[in-house]
Amino acid sequence: MSSSTVSVSAATPTRHLFERRVDEIKPSKTDINFVIMDYLINEGYPSAAKKFAMEANIQPPIEEETIQPRVEIRNAIHAGNIETAIHKINDLNPQILDLDPSLHFALLRLQLIELIRDCMSIPNADITPALTFATSQLAPRAPTNPEFLEDLERTMALLIFPPENLAPQLAALLDPSLRQNVANRVNEAILGSQGARREARIRNLVRLRAWAEKKARETGKDIPPKLSLGLDSDKEGQDNDDDDEAMNGNGDADAMVS
Amino acid sequence: MFRRSSYASVVSGAAAPGGPQRSGTFSPIVNNNSTSGQPPQHPSINHSRNTSRNSDADGHHNGMSASWGRGGHLPSYSSQFGCIGNGLGGLGPEGSASSFFVPSYLRGSRHAERLEEAHKAKIAAQREYRSNHSSNAGSLSTSSSSVNLHKMVPSHRGMTHDIIERAPVIPAEEAVAPWPTKWSDSDKYPQLDIQPDGLEVRFSGSGKTHDESASIRTDYPMPRQCGIYYFEVTVVSKGKEGRMIGIGVGGPKVVLNRIPGWEPDSWAYHGDDGNIFSSTTSGKAYGPKFSTLDVIGCGVNFRTGCIFFTKNGHYIDVAFSNIKQERLYPMVGMKKPGEILRANFGQTQFVFDIDNMVEKEKAIIQDEINKHFMKDTSSFRPPLDETSFIHELIAQYLAHDGYVETARAFAGEVREELRSLANGNEAGLKYLDPEEDQDAVNRQRIRASILDGDVDRALKLTTAFYPSVLRDNENIYFKLRCRKFIEMIRKYTELQHSSSSKRANTANGHHNTSDDYDVFDHQMELDDQFGPHTGQWAAEGMDTEGESGGGDYHAKYENLLEDTIRYGQELKSEFSGDPRREVKKALEDTFALIAYPDARESSLAPLLEISGRVPVAEELNSAILVSLGKSSSAALERLCQQTEALVDELSEDGGAGAFINVRRDFLQ
Repeated sequence: MSSSTVSVSAATPTRHLFERRVDEIKPSKTDINFVIMDYLINEGYPSAAKKFAMEANIQPPIEEETIQPRVEIRNAIHAGNIETAIHKINDLNPQILDLDPSLHFALLRLQLIELIRDCMSIPNADITPALTFATSQLAPRAPTNPEFLEDLERTMALLIFPPENLAPQLAALLDPSLRQNVANRVNEAILGSQGARREARIRNLVRLRAWAEKKARETGKDIPPKLSLGLDSDKEGQDNDDDDEAMNGNGDADAMVS
Repeated sequence: MFRRSSYASVVSGAAAPGGPQRSGTFSPIVNNNSTSGQPPQHPSINHSRNTSRNSDADGHHNGMSASWGRGGHLPSYSSQFGCIGNGLGGLGPEGSASSFFVPSYLRGSRHAERLEEAHKAKIAAQREYRSNHSSNAGSLSTSSSSVNLHKMVPSHRGMTHDIIERAPVIPAEEAVAPWPTKWSDSDKYPQLDIQPDGLEVRFSGSGKTHDESASIRTDYPMPRQCGIYYFEVTVVSKGKEGRMIGIGVGGPKVVLNRIPGWEPDSWAYHGDDGNIFSSTTSGKAYGPKFSTLDVIGCGVNFRTGCIFFTKNGHYIDVAFSNIKQERLYPMVGMKKPGEILRANFGQTQFVFDIDNMVEKEKAIIQDEINKHFMKDTSSFRPPLDETSFIHELIAQYLAHDGYVETARAFAGEVREELRSLANGNEAGLKYLDPEEDQDAVNRQRIRASILDGDVDRALKLTTAFYPSVLRDNENIYFKLRCRKFIEMIRKYTELQHSSSSKRANTANGHHNTSDDYDVFDHQMELDDQFGPHTGQWAAEGMDTEGESGGGDYHAKYENLLEDTIRYGQELKSEFSGDPRREVKKALEDTFALIAYPDARESSLAPLLEISGRVPVAEELNSAILVSLGKSSSAALERLCQQTEALVDELSEDGGAGAFINVRRDFLQ
């Protein structure tokens, strides 16, 4: 606290007023720890959640066991074992997929993509399993929703074009982020079915931060050209903490001089 | 952090078990400004700024009109010194327009929180003012007997105010804009009479025929920071002949001998023809006419710049748009004697479901926020998607704040997750590869000590690893010392009462703090503890004597008490010369604890809560980080700070930020 008093009394007039306002805001550690715990629980990091409860001396909001199924389902989807994931979801609560045809379709399509991926990795592989799966599982559902149809058609195009020269739209289907995306949707659906908040607080917070900055710039608020978090020192990603902190310090110094 | 309290100067008095007791609740505070015949205040922005600045300045004073000692060791200052009424938004007798209230649709909003904080600070300041002045006035002999004081309390308007939480300090230059609470007694056409509650206004029938109309404004303008401001007016009577009634809003300069709507800078809905008037005498067809017993609502949406009206709970339509005026007051105007209007500024429930409308407005903004960011991560940190960015934030926070084990576990789990994603880009996330950082381990040990209530160990560890920190941060050192005293009192009260109940141990909750006696265990074996990677500090200091039975109970209790008092005196002699107000205040608060037979039952009980350890631990941790040349706040904290500051910026002019309460909506 003494440091903040000093910085206020020794107010450098060149320092941006907004930066000083930022410094005056003291977020509570309890709140921040809550946000961390919320994320660990919500997005399924049980062992970190357990350690954090101990180290920060806070109570984990739910039992560790209830996180575990979600973790297993997520891992299965990430690993491309969609069939396993669907089984596990239905074990947990069969209504989740019954009530959300779009999510069910997304999972089945991901399963098709995984089958196609298998074919692509081997030259002249047999594409029959993929075709069978598409006709038996996806085709009957496609007419119920124009988006389903479009998704299915695009996925089938993967079988036609050579894997090394795909249009970006098609290449995106093979990107691991699609698995991640589907896994997130499944996680949210499970949480929703359990009456919990579907998304972790920190996601909303991060979006709020980005939105608020954009909005403030749009409406011409007097804020500095760049708001640094002290996280994005550079893109090398290999340097250590100290460098990052040093960068941060320099950044502040620059702000004061300018 | 600390609650406001009175000063127990009698540490030694507590040596006798069951010593001085608080003889009763605090004298009730009566803030009656409208019944005491004081001249009503002329409301103005300047006035409110001044008052809240005062309350801030006084906010650190100590002094409550508490009475101590059953036998009346000290005189008590009873409520007869009350009546320093005055109002930021009015602090009057309950039930009247001037007591503090929050309109339903603003509950939970940031602006409402701010006003409430200001209000509490104000009450506290008045309390101090009263107690300070009462003692100066030499009124000791006139005060009522402290013995009976507590018996007076319930009969006193039923207002048993408890100690008010110490209100956060409000930056002096940012006085919080109050919302309208009543019709102004001065900013009105002279022929209008206001009922004592300040809500009902009538055209006094003087017999003469008036060619002029009569209008009135409220005590304060509508704060833009509310985002949406809404009020309702009931037509109690349209009078014998007239029904020329206008309800709307207007600026501070609009003349008051005309119906609002006709004059520049005013906008209103008129009952005689159902027309709306936008700063002109020519109306525009809008809604139904209104008359006796109709309830007309008027709302301003500062974000969209629109004004709308409701009738008897039904939304009519947007009446005006592009409203950009800075200071707008609710206004009503009427023309004939006998006309009576009654306003509701949120004191009671509205007829129209304005809460729902505000909720919808919030939902629109939340949607915008959530949609918006998905594609805009890049403005933030180009190479990362949202999930990776969040992982980075969390990992950096854990490392920065010394949650070593958690950081390791988290990194492990994320790495596993990335690995299962076939082409996972593991290399990209630098914080997810926590290096062995001895400082982080040390800091976590220090934190763990404080969180376990072992201040001595924290002091020792800090002195050993970071000798300059306590030297350079005297206030933190002081807080640690105070905390130790509090921990001693915790032990002492627990021991004292543990024979009658076991709840002392369980009341602490989930985490067995295992610190029941080790505060007094000064044998700190540094050698043992300083071995690297012990990783079990949480269990250290566990002392088997904690389980000992009732035999040496009494002796232990006596020792404990003696230790506590000795330590208290040490603390006092070390810091009593300190001129800083916050130091004095903290000392007073802390010492007051010992005067209670069971402090856990007292109004100071929050001081004893283990949650009070957290801020001390975090402050020390920050100071250590600063001493190591690192940033005192992690990126995630920075993000919170920036977010809140940005949202503040966006709410000042009633923009979308007004509908966001960062802490309430995003951090809890």
